[in-house]
Order: sequence, then C-alpha cells, then structure tokens
Amino acid sequence: MHALAARRAAARPPGCNETMTEPPQAHKTKRGPRAAASLFRLGATYLGLIIVDAFALYLIYAFASDGIWELAITIGVITLMVNIINLRADLYALRWIAPALSLMILLVVFPIAYTVYVSFTNYGDGNLLTKTQVLKLLGPQTYLPEGGKVYRWNLYQNASGEFALWLTDEDAGGAYYFATLHNFEPVTTVAAGADLPGEYQGYRQLSRGESLKAVNAAQAMAFGGESFKIGIAGRREAGEFAKRYQFLSEQDAVLDNKSGALFRANYATGQFENDEGGTLFTGFISAIGLENYQSFIDRDDIRGPLARIFAWTIAFSLASVFTTFALGLFFALLLQNKRIPFKRAFRTLLIIPWPIPGLISVAIWRGMLNSNLGVVSNIIRSFGLEPPPFFIDAGWAKLAIILVNLWLGYPYFMLVCSGALAAIPRDMYEAAEVDGANWWQKFRDLTLPMLLVAVGPLLIASFTYNFNNFIIIEAFNQGGPPMVEAGTVPAGHTDILISYAFRLAFGGGRGSDFGLASAITIIIFLMVAGVTLAQYRLTKGWEETSENV
Amino acid sequence: MNLSRIYLLMAVLLLLLGVFAVSAQDEGLTVWGSESSTPILEELALQFEEEFGISVTVHEVAFLDIRDQFKTAGPAGEGPDILIGAHDWLGDLAVNGLLAEINLADVEEDFLPSARAAFVYEGVQYGLPVAAENVAFIRNTDLVPENPADWEEVRAISEQLIADGDASYGWIIQDSDPYHSFSVLTAHGGYVFGLTDAGYDPGDVGMDSDGAIAGASYIESYVSDGLMPTGVDYDVMHTLFETGEAAMIITGPWAIPRIEESGVNFTVDGLPAGPGGSAKPFLGVVGFMVSAFSENKILAETFLLDFIASEEAMASLYSADPRPPAHIAVRESLDDEIMAGFVAAGAEGLAMPAIPEMASVWAAWANAITLVRTGELGAEEAFSTAGEQIRALIAGDA
Amino acid sequence: MSERHVIKHKRYSAAQNAQLLVQLIILVVAVIFAIFPVIWVVSASLNPSQSMVTQSVIPPLPETRTVFAEGAGTLLRIASPAGRRVERSAELILLVEIDGVEKELRSPKNGYVRNIRLEVGESFAADEALYDISSSYLINFDILLSTPRRPFLRWLFNSLAVASITAVLVVLISAFSAYSFSRFRFSGRRHLLVLILLVQVFPNLLAMVAIFLMLQQIGNHIPFFGLNTNGGLILVYVGGGMGINIWLMKGFFDSVPRDIDESALVDGANHWQTYWLLIFPLVRPVLVVVGILSFVGSYNEFVLARILLRDKDSWTLMVGLWSYVSASFALDWGVFAAGAIIGALPCLVIYLGLQDQIVGGLTQGAVKG
Repeated sequence: MHALAARRAAARPPGCNETMTEPPQAHKTKRGPRAAASLFRLGATYLGLIIVDAFALYLIYAFASDGIWELAITIGVITLMVNIINLRADLYALRWIAPALSLMILLVVFPIAYTVYVSFTNYGDGNLLTKTQVLKLLGPQTYLPEGGKVYRWNLYQNASGEFALWLTDEDAGGAYYFATLHNFEPVTTVAAGADLPGEYQGYRQLSRGESLKAVNAAQAMAFGGESFKIGIAGRREAGEFAKRYQFLSEQDAVLDNKSGALFRANYATGQFENDEGGTLFTGFISAIGLENYQSFIDRDDIRGPLARIFAWTIAFSLASVFTTFALGLFFALLLQNKRIPFKRAFRTLLIIPWPIPGLISVAIWRGMLNSNLGVVSNIIRSFGLEPPPFFIDAGWAKLAIILVNLWLGYPYFMLVCSGALAAIPRDMYEAAEVDGANWWQKFRDLTLPMLLVAVGPLLIASFTYNFNNFIIIEAFNQGGPPMVEAGTVPAGHTDILISYAFRLAFGGGRGSDFGLASAITIIIFLMVAGVTLAQYRLTKGWEETSENV
Repeated sequence: MNLSRIYLLMAVLLLLLGVFAVSAQDEGLTVWGSESSTPILEELALQFEEEFGISVTVHEVAFLDIRDQFKTAGPAGEGPDILIGAHDWLGDLAVNGLLAEINLADVEEDFLPSARAAFVYEGVQYGLPVAAENVAFIRNTDLVPENPADWEEVRAISEQLIADGDASYGWIIQDSDPYHSFSVLTAHGGYVFGLTDAGYDPGDVGMDSDGAIAGASYIESYVSDGLMPTGVDYDVMHTLFETGEAAMIITGPWAIPRIEESGVNFTVDGLPAGPGGSAKPFLGVVGFMVSAFSENKILAETFLLDFIASEEAMASLYSADPRPPAHIAVRESLDDEIMAGFVAAGAEGLAMPAIPEMASVWAAWANAITLVRTGELGAEEAFSTAGEQIRALIAGDA
Repeated sequence: MSERHVIKHKRYSAAQNAQLLVQLIILVVAVIFAIFPVIWVVSASLNPSQSMVTQSVIPPLPETRTVFAEGAGTLLRIASPAGRRVERSAELILLVEIDGVEKELRSPKNGYVRNIRLEVGESFAADEALYDISSSYLINFDILLSTPRRPFLRWLFNSLAVASITAVLVVLISAFSAYSFSRFRFSGRRHLLVLILLVQVFPNLLAMVAIFLMLQQIGNHIPFFGLNTNGGLILVYVGGGMGINIWLMKGFFDSVPRDIDESALVDGANHWQTYWLLIFPLVRPVLVVVGILSFVGSYNEFVLARILLRDKDSWTLMVGLWSYVSASFALDWGVFAAGAIIGALPCLVIYLGLQDQIVGGLTQGAVKG
C-alpha cells in the first residue's frame, strides 16, 4: 500500500488530493525521458512567464504613468496570481484554471468593482467628469486681460523649421506686425492693407493647408519674446491671451484669474464653489456615500415605481419560466408519442424560434401586435372583435411581453425536456402501469419529479436570466406604457429592474444618473446572487453523491 | 504539447499582437454624422481634404444615439472633434462641460438669427446651425380641399369625413409625442415655459395652464368621441395617412419622401389657429458642435466656418437631406412649395428650450399626453400632474 | 402473414386514434404559432413596400408602372447613386430642367427602372412618360447587399468571425478549468466554483462604462484589443462568457468515469496527455454545446457591440441590422427583414443541423449539474 501510494504521488504533481481508487496494476517508471521532459517543461514555463511578466510590467507601467491606477492594479493582481500559480508546484491544479481566472478578473470582476464604486458616487449628468478631467479642460482656457490686443494671424516658417506669426491689427487700420519666437516688431516695409509677402526675414509664408497642419504645434508656442507672449487663440485670432484658470493644489481650489474668484472643491456636491455659492461650469465625480441607496427609501418618485417594478420583475421572471417550461414540456410529451408521423419535421419546425436572434424576433412581434395595423390585430378584427391595446394598456402590454417571451423561450425547454424524458428508464413506467396508474398519476408521481431533478437547475438559471432580460423589454416597448406616479424619473409598467436601471443610466429623466443606476444594479446582483446561492446549496449534496458514483 | 507550452504559446501570441499591431494614430479630424447627413459629409470631407490636405473621418452614429454615445466617449478621449446634433442637447452637454465655444463672428450674417441663437447656451455660442425645422399641417387634398382655418374646423371636417365614410379618420396624432402636439397646445393658449426677454423662464411652468389643458382636452375629445384610434405611433400615423385612411396629420420635413412615394395627393400648410391664437410649433435646429475634448479645435473651427458654412456646402447638405436651411442664401434660393409650407408654418415657431431639465420635461409631458390619449386620465388631471412634476423638479434643482 | 407483420400493424382503438388526431391538431397549431412570425418576416422581405405595418402576408405580385413627368422640361443627365449600372439601379436620379430650374427627380426606391423613354438632352412635355418602374420580390435583398454605406456582407463576416473565434476560445479555456475542477481536489476549490458562479450572474449592462473605459486604455497600448476593434469585442465576450460554461462543462466532465484517467495516470501518462488524449474526446458533446451556445450568444449580442464599435466597417451584424430599425424617422422594414433572414440563417443552420447533439449535451450537462 505504501509503495503504491508513493508511486502514485510520483506520477502526479504534489498537492492534488485526488480521491482515487487503487490502480488495477502497477506500472514502470521511465526516468530518463521524463526528467528531460520536465526540464523542458520547466524551461517553457519560465520562458512563458518571463514574456508574460515583461509584457504585464510594460502595461502596468504604461497605465500607471497614464494615471489609470485601477487598471494598473488589476493587471498587477492578475500577473502576480499567474506567477504564483505557475511557480508553486502545489498549485498545479490552478494552472489549468489560471487563463479563465485572469480573463474573468479583468472583464468580469473589475467591471463589478467599478460598478460598486460608482454606486457610491454622484456620477451622472452635471458630474460626468473626474476632477482631473475637469482640470484638464480648464487648463487651455484663456482670456484677454484688460488692454490686451487681438490680431489676425498668418503662419510663417523659416528654413530651420521655426514658426513666426504675421499679425494684423484690424482695430488699428490693418497695421502689420511680425512676431518670431524671440522678437516682436511692427512691419515697416509692407504698407497696411497690402498683400502679405511670400517671404519675410528669412521666413516663408505657409499655405492654408500647411498652416492648418502646423497649427496644433504652433498653438503651443508663445511668440514675440518674453515681454509679449503672443499666442494663437483661435482660427483667426492671436494675441496676448493669458491662462484663465489656475489650480492651487495646497488649497484644493481653482483660481479664476479673470475675476479673481477662488473656487474650492466641495466633495459633498462634487462642484468647485466660490464663497458666493457660484460654481464652475461643470462638476466632478465625487463619492457621496450611501445617498444613492437611501434614495430608494427617501424619494417618493423612486420608491413607489421601484416597488412596482420589483414586483413585476419577479412576476415576469416567474411567468416566463413557468410558461416556457410548461409549453416546452407539453410539446416534448406530445413528441414522445411514437405514432406521430413526421416527428422530426415537427420538432425541427417547433425549435425555429430559438435560433432567431432575439432582437429580430422582438422587432417582428412588435410589428405584428401593433393594435392598428399589426397582422395579429387584423386577424382579431376579422373575427369582428376589437384588438386588445397591446402597447397602451399596462395589463395587455405585460401579457404581450410574456407571450413574446414564451415564443422565444419554449423551444429551449422543449429540447431539454425531450432529452431528460428520454433518460427516464422505461421500466419505471412499466412498473407504474402494473400498479394501475393512469397517465396523470404517472405524470405527477413519476415524470415530473424525475424531470425536475434534471431540469430544476435550468429552471432557476432561466429565472435569473429572465430577471435580467433586458433586450426583450427594450426592443419591445422600452418599458412602456408609462407609470403615472413615476414623475421625473421615467418608469414604465413593463420595465423590469435592469431596463429601469439602464434608462436611468443612459437617458431619459434628468439624463444620466450612473450612480443611482449602479446602486440598482448592485441590488439586482444581490438578489440574483442570493437565488443562485440558494440553488447551489440545494443541489450541492446531490452533486457530491453523483461525483462519488 | 502540455500545459506549459500552452502558456508559452499564449505569451508569444500576446507579444506578437502587441508588437505588430501598430497604433494608427489619425492626425485629421473626426466627425460624427447622423444617418441622413453622413453620406454628404463624407463627400464634403473628401473635398476638404483635397483643398486643405487635412483628412476628415466621418463616423455614422444613429442620430438618437449621438448624445449618449458622446457622453461616454467624449470624456474618455474617444469622442469626435465635431458632432452633429440638435440644439436642445446644448443644456445637457454644456452642463457637463463637453462642448467648446465656437466663434461665428465671420459668418453670422449668413445665418438666420433665430437658428444661431438656438445654439447659444448661457451666453456662449456652441454650434453652427444647418437646418431649422418644424412640423406643419399636412392634409390629403383629395379628402380635404381647403386648409382648415382653426382647430374647430379640423374637428368638423373630421366628423364629416368619418360620417360620410370617405376616410376612417380625419385628423390623427401620435399617442405619446409632445413634440408634434405642442402646436395644438399653443393654439389653445398653452405653453411650456413663460417667455421673457432673457429667454425661457423656468420659474413659469405652463404645462398646467388653462391653455395647455384646453389643448389637451381638445385631443381628448377626439379619443372619447371615437374620432381617433389609439396605438398610433409615427409609422402608424404615416401609414394611415399614406393609405388615405386618415386625412390630416402633423409631421415634419423628414417625412416628405415617404409621403411622396405613397402617391397620395397632399399639401403642406401652416398650422390651424385656435382660441389661444395662432399655433406655434417647436423649432428644432440641427447643427454642428465642437467637442471640448478635441485636440484640434482650431482645425475643427476652420472646417466648420471656412468650409461647411459656405453656401455651396450648405446647399449640398440641404439637397442630401432637405430640411429648411438655416443659411439665408440657400433658404432664399429655394423654389419648393413643400418647403415653403414648412417655412410658413414655422414663422411663429418657438425654439425648443435647451435647459438641462428639458429631458425630464419631455418625459413628464409625454406621459401626460399618453395618459390622455389612452383615456387613462382626463386632460386636466394628467396635465396638472405633469405641471407639478416639472415644478418639483426645477425647484429641487435650484 | 408472418408474425412480424402482425406486430407492425398492431391495431389501435378508436380512442387511441382520436387521441392521435387531437395531438396532431395541437402540433399543427403549435407549428403555426412557431413559424408564423418567420413566414411573416419572409413575406416582408419579399414585399417592396417600405413600411412594416402595411404589408400583407402574401406579397403583392411584381408589377410595372410608368412614371410620368409633372411638367415640361429637358433631361440633362441620368445618374445612379453609388455608381451602379443605370439599368439595374433600384434608385435612379434624373437631372432635369423644368421652367429653367434644374431639378433632381428620384425614382421610387421600391422598384427597378426598366425603360427610360428619353435620351439625354431630349425635351419632354408635361405628362409625358419618363420611364417604367417594375417592382421585384428580391429588391430588398438587392438593396441590402448593394448599399456601400451599409456593408452588410462585411457585418456578416465580422459577426461570423467574432462568434467563431469567441466560441473556440471559450471552449478551450473553459474546458481547461472544467477539467481541473472536475479532476483535482485542492483547497478553495468549492469556494472558487461558487465565486465563479456568483460573479457570472452580475448584470453587466451597467458595467458597460467600465468595459468601455478599459478597452480604450488597453487599446492605447495593444491596439488589437482596443475600442472599435473586433479583437476587443472578442476579448469582452470571451471574458464574460466563461463562468457559466465552466459549470456546464464541469458537470459533464464529472459524468466521465474517473477510472479512465486514473488508469492512464497510473500507466505513466501525465495530466496533459490524459486530458488531451482521453478526456477531451469523451466530452465532445458538451464542447459542441458550449461552442454553439457561445457562438450564438456572441452572434446575437448587440448592447455591448453597439457601444464598443463605432466604425461601420467593424460593426457586427446585429449592430448593423439595428441601425435599420432604430433610425429615427427612416424605417426600412423590407430591407431589415431581408437582413434579418440572412442574419438568422447561420444560427438556424447550426441549430437545426446539430439539434440532436445540442439535446444530448444540454441534458447531460443539466443532469450532472
């Protein structure tokens, strides 16, 4: 026993406590080739790691120098994790998982962390930029100090590539000046109003195209030497413009050089404010604690709709799961009858809704259900009935959405159920028949329980999927018809939580409110995660047994 | 093959991608155009490149997506230098610091003052207008030979047409569109915000004024008397009109091509007056704006003012997407009855308010209209609620 | 008659036959419910009318009608947009002079100009016939495939490329993880599994802003994965589609008897050989299913793609199709329907062709958790 165990340990990397049955036979170890192979493997591991690390370090450095710390840290964490996993032999099992894990950290966990962060901020209209971005916008803004002069400019360039400006003072009858990087002087050799010379003091006049290409570079320069500092300020204007704003980091405030007012950063409101309560033209993103979460309770125009949307989200998800499962199962049972002719054709036709992209299907249904001209309404009308207002009345709209979702979703359960039904041993039915059970008893006591064991997890997955089924709501009617009490934060009778959050974030109402939308997302996540976790706990013990079979 | 070599392979792949994919940093300008303006902008961009040697890349973004996408992409440095948009986005975009001022001094005499003014927000010029458009009253000339003078007559004609069986409906309007129905409200004396010399006064909300309620009641009466169907959206309204089932609609110049294609005989007129005086449709001005995050602001200004603002470019923008031009010379050179109808209808038009709160005003208002159209609430109740909502919002903001 | 024959022709009671009839009727009704929207969209694609609401289920027969001049004038030039041959163009522009004013006459978009009655330079009287226009069942497809501003085939190619690469990567990477979770016992295994499951149910709609910012930053240094690239989109799809597939696969891996790999390991095979040569072929059904689901999922996704892709040339099919229906005042249902049919074909072929494998993979995975 001991010898066997030792050999097994050699056959597989350490750290993996596999629960194995005894090997049926002993085996021979091939020492030589294996040592060479493992040496090679080691080399490959190190080489791969070195390349990955070099690359990651470059990215981390690049992100950090751009000031994108969150991303630099994320990449750093991933790199560290990959290194540890690959260098420690006892983490061999994780080497298989590391690629998936790295991708998930970058593309799933990082966005989640970001959303959590946003839910505690005022990110939204009026506070759309970070403080750094606001300061960056303030930087290039200029103003003309009192007594400052404005000229029209033309760009000149000498052989060594230095720029110069030909300036026209239109207020002074078109007098000409010439400003190089070092010098500023009136032009005496060319009369005011005369054509500009092609060359002047060794500088050549640039064509329109040339000066446009050069304008970004020239704009960064100050012309006319120390005492003048003339800069290009616009498409035509140049002059002694001065920087309008100045950021004083020790006071955490912005000084407006034009008015002399000091705007201090106020983190509670995310604004730069002066003593009179005036603010700069835009605010910045700032952490506001639990305010977004509190508004679920405090604000009437959110609390009321939110409760109704929540109720409808649950109802919609449950109804969708139930109807799609019931119809799918029903069809699967029908197709079980061996006497049905063209069974395969029937099944093929019945799953057609599944592969059609949801976006397309919903758009089609929207047109078909239109109460005036839609084909469904016309059919109803041809029976002499008034077609129901699918887009007007809240109840009908909800019914329509569930109907459309039923069309989209039943084929999935039909397929799953036919597979699961086929897996139920026939002899169990025969036993039941011997006991004299009728079809309903067989279905209730045998088919359904067996089926639910197999399909149960899929039902819960379907529930969580529909809980966040954004596309159907958005493409069908954008959550309409509107709720009366929703007021300024728009909400519709068929809005589910995720579409409500989307509308808050990307339009409507007061424009974007990413903070509030993120807070709702977090709540959705907590609920869905709870359901998922509950499902996991329910099926866990059962997984254990199946594994040890 | 083993796991380590997979890692090595992935690392090498990553390296190759990083080394060989060289960033193609574009030097020129980037413009976001809408569905209808992109083709002509692409042509103009080529001309500009020929003339000035600066490349201009035009991206097509759905008009209704431009604003939201710009708000995501702009701060991230991925936005355009120039974007096309409606003047009523100004408040939203400017309050977020996303737009740069542009100086129209050189071309201001070429453009309609009202269109230019629409692109001013808090005293700053943010856009170059291209077209100033508004809705007008469109009727099927076979069914309604004479232009009705006021809304009472519209109703009388509608009743007559339905009673005679000449058409299923007379005048119809969409379920939930404040923009199209505004002229009905103004004809009854309604307004959104009071107008002072300094522009709109957000302190004076007119959504629940007697006039607005009277206008809404007028629409309500069609619904309650069975003169108008529910479930009408833009497409349905047009289809009913284009198939001769409805005789009169309110729509804008963008819809003319499809009406012409349908073969219905129609004409475009000014909007009927009402007890509150003449009807004033909203003026919507479409134009170009410059991003505050553009690193080529002078280039962008040059492109707009020295090139796009020219009569030729404005004329080609008009012919590609015919809407009443904001450029005076192009406007005056028009010889088109339909366009003249729109210009006449817009003579007393009011620029759509551009304050940031407008988004929620639209939302509250659209809800009110929908509730009336569907018969869920009476006109008075629906519009009183909307007025209160808007007032609460503006007060909360101050 | 042999006994076999008798068994084949087993007699059924009247009740059983009636039951069969009822079942058949139900199935026929169900099939109508299932395919009616599809039939409707097919008919929309064959219908030259531009509006979704006016069309009938059976498209009108193609017809030819003549277009007459509205006033006397002279034909100056005939042009066709986008440089198409004049005689096949779905849209034709006649530059004419009427009363001394130059005008563009555009032909209706829903038909082919067949027979231009005038030569360039010729004058025409008011009410004179200008040209014939004939509608065609295929005009929407023609417009769809030949509008350079809407490179439909490019979108289709992008979608197919993005979806297939995503599917292959998802299958390979999640199969590694699933193997490990199924075959190794290491500390934290259970927690890691639960964690993967939990982060996977996070609604990533709102994380769009984060993903946008991240791709933009990554793109500054690795342009291949940047914004506006299909590479970046693939990265997002692969990263986002991992968790649930690891679970689906792990369930299936668990159902493969462990004796198989144990004996191989004991025989001196390493884990890689065991995985690649033994297990991988055995779990093929679930790999196919995960591959198909990832393919279809990324093929159909459009919310992220719409935000992340800006260039028309990098658009995927769904973003492109959406542009047909989302255009504010210029709905083009016929062309959209034509695009929808072509767009739905790849998934339809895959599903219908591989439905047995899908059923097998799904249910076995489901049974095993």
